[in-house]
Amino acid sequence: MSKTEEQSINSWINKDEPKYVSSQSHYKDGFEDILDERRHSSDIKYCIRKRRDVPKYKYCIPREPDDIKRHVLSSDRVQYVIEKLASEKVATLDELRIQSEEILNEMAHKLSVKAVRCFAYLLIKVLKSLFSGIYVNEPGIQMLHKLIHEYPVVLMPTHRSYMDFLLVSYIFYNYDLSLPVIAAAMDFKNMKFFGWLLRSCGAFYIRRSFGSDQLYWAIFTEYVQTQLRNGDSPVEFFVEGTRSRTAKSYTPKIGMLSAAIESYFKAELPDLMIVPISISYDRILEEKLYAYELLGIPKPKESTSGLLKARSILDEDFGSVHLYVCDPISIRDMAVGKVDRVLHALEPRYINNLTDREQMVTKELAYKIVLVQQQHLVISPWSLIAAVLMQSREGISQWQLLKEVEWLKQQVYNLGGYVDWPGNAKVETVIEHYLSLHTNIISLDNTEKIELKLVRPTHIAKPVHDEVMLNAATNLILGSYRNQVLHIFIRVGLVALAVNSCADDTMTMDELFNKYSFLETVLSRDFVFMPGETNKSFEHAVLELSHTGGLVVENDIVQVKKSITKHTTFFSQMFEPFLVGYWVLCHHLLSLPVDVHGRPLPKKPKAIAIDAQKLAIRLLQENVLKHYEVLSLDLLGNGLNALVELGAMYKDKRNEEPWLSPNRVLVSDIAEKIAQYVEVPPVAVTSVLAVSKRIVLTAKL
Amino acid sequence: MASSSERLKVIRGHLWPHSSSNGDVSSRIRQENSNIVFAECKGDSPKKLTVDESPSSIPKRRQELLKWNGWGYKDSKFIINKHGQVEFTGERYKISGKMMPALRDWMLSNVGVSLEQKSPAQPELTAANIPSPTVNESFVEEVKKLGLTYSEEPHDRLFRAHGHTLHEVFILREGTFKRIPDAVIWPSCHSDCVKIVQLACNYDVVLIPYGGGTSVSSALECPPEENRMIISVDTSQMTRILWIDQQNLLAHCECGIIGQDLERRLEEKGFCTGHEPDSMEFSTIGGWVATRASGMKKNIYGNIEDLVVHIKTVTPRGVVERSCQVPRLSSGPDIHHFILGSEGTLGIVTEVTLKIRPVPPCKKYGSIVFPDFKNGVACLNEVARQRVAPASIRLMDNEQFQFGHALKPEASSIFTSFMEGLKKLYITKIKGFDLHEISVATLLFEGTREEVALQEKRVYEIASKFGGIPGGEENGERGYMLTFVIAYLRDLGFDYFVVAESFETSVPWDRVLDLCRNTKDRIVRECKERGVQFTPYATCRVTQTYDAGACVYFYFGFNYRGLANPVQVYEEIETCAREEILANGGSISHHHGVGKLRKKFLQRTVSEPGVGMLRAVKHYLDPQNIFGNGNLMIE
Repeated sequence: MSKTEEQSINSWINKDEPKYVSSQSHYKDGFEDILDERRHSSDIKYCIRKRRDVPKYKYCIPREPDDIKRHVLSSDRVQYVIEKLASEKVATLDELRIQSEEILNEMAHKLSVKAVRCFAYLLIKVLKSLFSGIYVNEPGIQMLHKLIHEYPVVLMPTHRSYMDFLLVSYIFYNYDLSLPVIAAAMDFKNMKFFGWLLRSCGAFYIRRSFGSDQLYWAIFTEYVQTQLRNGDSPVEFFVEGTRSRTAKSYTPKIGMLSAAIESYFKAELPDLMIVPISISYDRILEEKLYAYELLGIPKPKESTSGLLKARSILDEDFGSVHLYVCDPISIRDMAVGKVDRVLHALEPRYINNLTDREQMVTKELAYKIVLVQQQHLVISPWSLIAAVLMQSREGISQWQLLKEVEWLKQQVYNLGGYVDWPGNAKVETVIEHYLSLHTNIISLDNTEKIELKLVRPTHIAKPVHDEVMLNAATNLILGSYRNQVLHIFIRVGLVALAVNSCADDTMTMDELFNKYSFLETVLSRDFVFMPGETNKSFEHAVLELSHTGGLVVENDIVQVKKSITKHTTFFSQMFEPFLVGYWVLCHHLLSLPVDVHGRPLPKKPKAIAIDAQKLAIRLLQENVLKHYEVLSLDLLGNGLNALVELGAMYKDKRNEEPWLSPNRVLVSDIAEKIAQYVEVPPVAVTSVLAVSKRIVLTAKL
Repeated sequence: MASSSERLKVIRGHLWPHSSSNGDVSSRIRQENSNIVFAECKGDSPKKLTVDESPSSIPKRRQELLKWNGWGYKDSKFIINKHGQVEFTGERYKISGKMMPALRDWMLSNVGVSLEQKSPAQPELTAANIPSPTVNESFVEEVKKLGLTYSEEPHDRLFRAHGHTLHEVFILREGTFKRIPDAVIWPSCHSDCVKIVQLACNYDVVLIPYGGGTSVSSALECPPEENRMIISVDTSQMTRILWIDQQNLLAHCECGIIGQDLERRLEEKGFCTGHEPDSMEFSTIGGWVATRASGMKKNIYGNIEDLVVHIKTVTPRGVVERSCQVPRLSSGPDIHHFILGSEGTLGIVTEVTLKIRPVPPCKKYGSIVFPDFKNGVACLNEVARQRVAPASIRLMDNEQFQFGHALKPEASSIFTSFMEGLKKLYITKIKGFDLHEISVATLLFEGTREEVALQEKRVYEIASKFGGIPGGEENGERGYMLTFVIAYLRDLGFDYFVVAESFETSVPWDRVLDLCRNTKDRIVRECKERGVQFTPYATCRVTQTYDAGACVYFYFGFNYRGLANPVQVYEEIETCAREEILANGGSISHHHGVGKLRKKFLQRTVSEPGVGMLRAVKHYLDPQNIFGNGNLMIE
């Protein structure tokens, strides 16, 4: 016997047991847990160790942060703007120079490896206590090692938490990569000590809005560009502009990106490599803060004392983090055949002037970055659970939950998502584990049913007693986790909505496409669609849905009845709250009193959203509305922007801010269209007859 | 050539305007017409100083002196000798007969050459491989009647079917041209050209003027789809300096005189033109005018457009020339500028009056070592700004500096190698330069002894502000030698699977560095994407400085072992490189011209109406497209 065993062809396998699961999950599926090693060796040694083979851009001439500042002030770009402003008598040359220095002092980072080492020590302790593992795709890191040497690199992580840039910097430190400099919001700057610490770790501070401030724009552009040109450090910023409070991607912001890639369009760089980074959390630190912020209950100002007060979260478990470094996007490849850089040959390069096509390419790039980020997000099993729970407001039995999650997981796989599902683990165990991470919103008291728990805010002085608000907060937290799978389902979801709402037995593909296309436009602020590729994504979604059996198409005709399946039902319900929210918004707009010009007085977008929220609260209290998510100001704001996009709002510019008032005909038209797709409260509030332009009040609010 | 036969030739030249060595053309006809021809060709003014005629350095049968499938003289080439060392044969050049011990290693490590892997050229083509000519009988009859030297010899025709782009030389080594000229005619004076053009118009025959044959823009290649007879008009026998005007400092020359002969013969009278393009050993005045050439010493003497005072061009419409010989005139758009750079599309440039200068008493090389290329460029920019550029100032990047170093012949004595070692020690240890970063500027000063001393002082002063230190005369001189021998070196590369080429551009100062870096980067990247197995060699130098910018010259080569279609790959990459250059604010060409190679970039460079202007001129002067070489604006 023993002889045959020795001859086994599998003798090179140590543990010849398919069910074996490593107890220590240092590596899994291309990811490496970087905290693992830190739990087993000295942190101090780690922080003072020599960083070896740190890659540097091959044309980099070493500079100190102060050299960079000096360069910016003396640069042609800044000098040109200063002289221009002086000649326009905006201010004197001296004033402008002093102003520039002030701007730059406020902006510039003071990256120093020493400070980073200190901070790393602190950060490890925090990270170890917060997370059970930080998983990084190691091949991506190796790619970065080579890439940083070859080309200037821009890092663009997803932005869901303050942890994002700390994590990226920490990981770069851990893998001996040159530390990035990060465009951060001003909020941090004013924090005592931490503001300074972050600056020393490479944060540079950008004002939120400086639209027409030419001097600021010039200094900022030059500051970013010079660091890319010389390749001092990888430059990191967030294409979404700010932390996503909803845990789904915001539509990208173009400004910063176009400042960065202008250098390529002006041929100051051989190429520029954009590296999207997808960061996925099992549980987001700021979940509660976000929920209340979305409801319009203001967030506390960032302060060091606030931060210290928040240290209680250190005792909580936030599961693990996955960080995926995506393949780089080369601007050269993106722009090939689309832009003609020769057009910049006739002007000095420091004068700001990008062509329309260059702006188009920048926009496409921005969208592409977000889509690539989404593609590589790791879906936590918790997101699947959340998606199921969101559709079971009355609670759900453990058994039912299990079945639904299994089903949903399969759908995610079918649509190309990556779920962080441990191999060989039982479904029950996985679900139990994730439920236990989120006991703050999940009640496991009732053994029969899993229910939601109300979350009370801790950070605001005035406690919220309003039942509706408390419910909404819990729902928004849970919703934010469901949101993390929505990018996978959005396209098939829109097809599903169109099919599900169809009253006829059949529908032509053209009809389906028209509906899809309408929904895409309406939802284009809440979800990210590649501009100009509606056709492509529609066809793709139809294929996906029919191949998984969710949609039946015979001879290019959609068989509606056969297509009303679990797939289409589940997927449409996922997106229902958004459409309902927009409908409420439309009806708020239609209920506004009309002034002498036959249209309501313009208001700021924010004010409109808040007023629409009030209407939603009433509808919820009256129990005619069931989706608490509708109260999210983010959702209402996005709806408003979509209306602007559709041309349904009149736009004024007052004090550099847009003021809006509805085009009642168009808004009522859109509201009616939306109502075709989702169940809306029976209170048909007003309807504007397009032909007669007569307003018929059918109910009073 | 035996000196007796040379003397004979000179004597014959006095008696007989056509220093004919070809007895084949009916001498009877020649004699009948001789009086007229002689009178017409004399065409000089008695007041002015005439220069003794001497025969061209280039024979009618060029292939007897020059390589048929490579660059330059037959006797001069790089070989790998029996010791496995690189040696340059012959005795024409300073490095002739010398070994360059470092060159082999440089080739092995920089272009992935393996001495075991050779790619020898095909054997010399015989008449069997060369298609028979398309002959327009009546035209040929008329030509013979006129007594012009005429040949349909296969090798004469093949030699004039090409210039020296990679594409053309590779065809010579590996294949055959689709179309070559059907005959060669050697006019001996302006009026011969007038007659040839007249006949060509009468019989609808294509003329391609041929000067030195050093074109690197595919300008000499025959359009393959051309069905008419193609005549290569070889100007090599129009080599007279018709007169020299010492007061106005002008020399009136025929178009076929080559650069080195022109300078040599002017020097006998104490003058020079100072026009020294790198091809001056072979290229002709007519060619310079037709391509808008630029000379190394343009800082003192100017480019060809600054040097010409008068141009005589035979076009199908007639002879284009100005009536006066003045330093400048305002007469609407300058007709000279239609001819300058016309690349043989409008007519034959037959006679040119050039400015001349007294030969400068003092000529001195020099060099400056910079810590890196960036500093070097900044220094050249400053030199240009202060307008103190010597006759020539060039800046080599590090790769080219190392290459130049590899070209160093073996040290002649232990003392020199000791001194070299000391120099290196000084630069690396005391000045702290990194040998893999430094770049070197080479300088050529000309003028009186005092002027040169003053220039040297000012240039070295500026250089020191940019961290540059003087690097000695010898380094400077070797730098200039490099440009003359690199064309020979390409032929050695061909033998070892290496294809290489040079191209150039002009660019504003603020973009010089970016253009150099980005273009090199693009080349390396495109090679990688096309499956080139070995790291390509891409290097550049700034070769000319102007107030508003500079001329940048690239060398690019790669080892093509493992690739099926090296020339196509090369051409694709060169196109990418040119696109990159344009995107970086560079030009289509500084002095190589457009030809057929860069035609696709012409409209983007000069705008659509711009090309229309060129076409309109072409259409007026040459409605039949007699000068149908297909260059520039010709569709």
